[in-house]
Amino acid sequence: MEFIAELLISLFLVVSGVFGFVGSYGLVKLKDSVQRLHAPTKATTLGVGGVLIASMLFFFLDTGHISIHEILIALFLFLTAPITANFIAKTYMVANLKQEKLPKSSSECGWSIYDKPPSSDEDS
Amino acid sequence: MLIIMALLPFLGALLPSLMIRAGRNACAIFTALPTFLALVILLILSPSVMRGEVLQAELAWLPQIGLSASFFLDGLGLLFAGMILGVGLLITLYARFYLSGEDPMGQFYTFLLLFQGAMLGIVLSDNILLLLVFWELTSLSSFLLIGYWKHLPEGRQGARMALAVTGSGGLAMIAGMLILGNIVGSYNLTDILQAGDAIRASDWYLPALILILLGAFTKSAQFPFHFWLPQAMAAPTPVSAYLHSATMVKAGVFLMARMWPVLSGTDAWFNIVTTTGLITMVLGALIALFKNDLKALLAYSTVSQLGLMTMLLGFGTQVAAVAAVFHIINHLTFKAALFMTAGIVDHETHTRDIRRLGGLRHLMPVTFVIATISALSMAGIPFLNGFLSKEMMLEEASHTGLFGSPSALPILATIGALLSVAYSFRFVVHVFLGPVRDDYPHKPHDPPFGMWAAPALLACLVVLIGVAPFLAEGIVTAAANAVTGADLHPHFKIWHGFTPALWMSVVAVVSGAILLLQYGMLDRVWEALPRPEAKTIFDHLVAAVVAGARRVTEITHNGAISRYLAIFTIASVALGWVAYSGGGLGPRTRDLLAVPLVVAVGWLMLIVATGYVVVNHHHRFRALVLIGVIGLTVSAGFVYLSAPDLALTQISVETVTIMLLLLALHFLPKVTPRESSLALRLRDGAIATVAGLGVGGLAYAFLLRDTDTISDYFIANSYEGGGGTNVVNVILVDFRGFDTYGEIIVLGIAGFLIFSLMHALLDGPAAKRLRARDYSQDRSHDRHPLMMVVVTRVLMPIAMVVGIYIFLRGHNAPGGGFVAGLVVAIALLMQYMASGFAWTQARKRIEYHTLIGMGVVIAGLTGAGAWLFGQPFLTSAYTYVHIAPVEEFELATAMLFDLGVFLTVLGAVMLMLYSLSRIARFAGETVNMEPMDYDPSEHVDDGKVKV
Repeated sequence: MEFIAELLISLFLVVSGVFGFVGSYGLVKLKDSVQRLHAPTKATTLGVGGVLIASMLFFFLDTGHISIHEILIALFLFLTAPITANFIAKTYMVANLKQEKLPKSSSECGWSIYDKPPSSDEDS
Repeated sequence: MLIIMALLPFLGALLPSLMIRAGRNACAIFTALPTFLALVILLILSPSVMRGEVLQAELAWLPQIGLSASFFLDGLGLLFAGMILGVGLLITLYARFYLSGEDPMGQFYTFLLLFQGAMLGIVLSDNILLLLVFWELTSLSSFLLIGYWKHLPEGRQGARMALAVTGSGGLAMIAGMLILGNIVGSYNLTDILQAGDAIRASDWYLPALILILLGAFTKSAQFPFHFWLPQAMAAPTPVSAYLHSATMVKAGVFLMARMWPVLSGTDAWFNIVTTTGLITMVLGALIALFKNDLKALLAYSTVSQLGLMTMLLGFGTQVAAVAAVFHIINHLTFKAALFMTAGIVDHETHTRDIRRLGGLRHLMPVTFVIATISALSMAGIPFLNGFLSKEMMLEEASHTGLFGSPSALPILATIGALLSVAYSFRFVVHVFLGPVRDDYPHKPHDPPFGMWAAPALLACLVVLIGVAPFLAEGIVTAAANAVTGADLHPHFKIWHGFTPALWMSVVAVVSGAILLLQYGMLDRVWEALPRPEAKTIFDHLVAAVVAGARRVTEITHNGAISRYLAIFTIASVALGWVAYSGGGLGPRTRDLLAVPLVVAVGWLMLIVATGYVVVNHHHRFRALVLIGVIGLTVSAGFVYLSAPDLALTQISVETVTIMLLLLALHFLPKVTPRESSLALRLRDGAIATVAGLGVGGLAYAFLLRDTDTISDYFIANSYEGGGGTNVVNVILVDFRGFDTYGEIIVLGIAGFLIFSLMHALLDGPAAKRLRARDYSQDRSHDRHPLMMVVVTRVLMPIAMVVGIYIFLRGHNAPGGGFVAGLVVAIALLMQYMASGFAWTQARKRIEYHTLIGMGVVIAGLTGAGAWLFGQPFLTSAYTYVHIAPVEEFELATAMLFDLGVFLTVLGAVMLMLYSLSRIARFAGETVNMEPMDYDPSEHVDDGKVKV
């Protein structure tokens, strides 16, 4: 393989490694759950993304095939990571924030998590 | 013909229960029909057997273990088959009139025919394994017959005792027969009978003899196993008459006669069998004399008479064997008749207590005549058949010494005869003679003809054989020749001249009569004597055994899973240690590899996570998270060691397990309470450490040595034989397809089991706790968040594609039905988690039960499809297909099989989820009908809610 190609792949790998490290370090360094939510986002997006791009490049340059597995992985990650973060935040709120400390919700249905959802009346 | 005859009673057993709807007469007729047909076949076959031929018929059953359904008919078999079928017919007739309208007659006749078939099987079997099968069948069917009046506690206890005694004897006999078969090298009776010398010379002769005799003695109620027979008298009288005159108890005698040429002739045989027979004869007669219950008297007299036959067989001489065979016939005739008359007396007077009877000769003249003839025959009065065989017995006894004493046996035999005279006379005198009483529980009169016809016929036989003994010579000769293997021509005469036997007989009759005259005094003495009560001893014994068994159960599986694990672990370690100390270790053939940093880090993670779980396992949630970490690290280990298939499976299994466990944890306490003491924890810790070090050491030892495994074969043949390059998948669906088939069935059963356990759980005490728990405290009201719902919907098709992809490529690359099933299950699980159970369930088309069933059926049908091509079950076929724009691809039947795996896995996982959600619903959680809590499309943008 050409030097340039190898360099390119290595670059993405290094980028991914750096962001993976930053994400992990953040987990240890940051103080509470809400702050810590920020850290893994680096690892899941740029960290894993770097590896995926490197992998696609490698297979394209090495065998000539365009590998789409990586796109799928990225898709899964991009879909699930925000949900995970969303759930962690919600959990944090349930555990640590009393509703009284919140400002009044402008929505008729109130705050999610704290107030009953609008559809619950229809529940049986 | 022979096989049909042997099968007829079993086939016929189907009829009575059906025909009872057509009435009691029809039921009896259809019971008699198969018996009668079998008897006709027997009569057709009998001339050739009487000439000395042996008829044989064979059907292969399990030739691999030497078990074949082979039957043979020789003289002995003919005699017994005739007795079983003939008396069977008479009993059928008698029972028709004996049983009252409240008794389920169809059931009775079914049991009777089953028993008859089992007995017939015993006497016709040419294979000792087959004989054992029938032997146990008689124990079982007699259990049903004896316990026929299941509303009576005596009936149930008697039946249980009979089953326990004869059944355990049967177990001993199985061992003895297996030894015998091992000595000879064949389980065929005809072969075994030829090998007498080899057997007697074998070191294993004595154990085999004792074990077989245990079986025979328990069945024939020989001392000290005699006690079950009188207890079995709680059965209806037809059963007693059948079991205890012609069939069940004679099975032991039959077996001794059958094995006579092989086992007899040694000192061991003589000492054991003769002594047992003698003791039984005297003891049984003594007890019989003092029994006040008519049937108990007859029962103990049967015990005594069986002892007589056993003793005769024990003598080991040919003449004694002839006498034994002759007595079998005679005993059958008079004892069956006596039992039936006892039944008639009971039926008419509503009591069997001799003390309440007497003077019945005026009220029941017919019964009186029958009973007298039979009882006198039992006493051994001339011109009745009992006299003939008893004379032969006394004659043989008079010149047989026992344990060095020439006079012991004749004296004891005479005492036995004397006592039997006394109890026979007592049966007649105390029941029928004497003044008519006016305090019978029920005013007696002779029963209808149908009821006394059978005993009358037998009484006629008693007289006929007694007066003209040559009539019985033919069948006795045939049977005796079959027993002894010699060519004998016995002649029965009434008058032998003034032989010692005659004097012994005279002494017996005279003193027997005197004994009865002094009965009142003797009875008081007897009552005053301490006697061990067999039933109490047996009950204590059974109670002790049950208590012992319960103690073992309590120690080994008391419901504490930790104890099961401890036992299992210790046993495995012990076995491993035994294996290790036996063979030791071969030399090391491999070197240790260097440890790369990445591996070291992974290892460290694993160790830390594992240690943390051990320390913190009381916090269930933390432990679960850590277990997830361990699972993922293990998966990574698989990837590192080039096992992508395992890694894939591991990851998907981990995911599903963690998800289901999380759901389950919701209903459980958050913390496991500390229940074990420190000592207990130390013990468990020690066990775990030893086991862990053992497994670790084993793995370490194996990794450093080259071993021959079967993997090379699989790798070499995977593509050629199974048509796939993914060896793991080919092993699963092809090489070891049968295993997989079994496993998916187990998985399906597990799914069903969880489902049904949930049913039980929701009815039990746990249900109350569930209902009482309050989940509202720490709960978010945001049950089905919008973002989650939307994303899972988006993910669903992608996950499905991944599932299908993994499924399709499974045969050649990592994947397969199992993983695909899990992936799709995860995709569906997400929908359930996002939108709730009710909403998702409403969108499901196929029941999960059906899915499991379909999976198993598809896999099974795929496997069975191979049969159509003359191949064994689960042989797979494959081909390569080329359709124009698509690349060439492979079609394998293994894929269909994999589809079955896929469906079963999916169904089982979803069924488990369903079970969990049932708990949730039970615990009072509400059910949603909407996919999400807050659907913005239903609400306008400016914050006002649409109606």
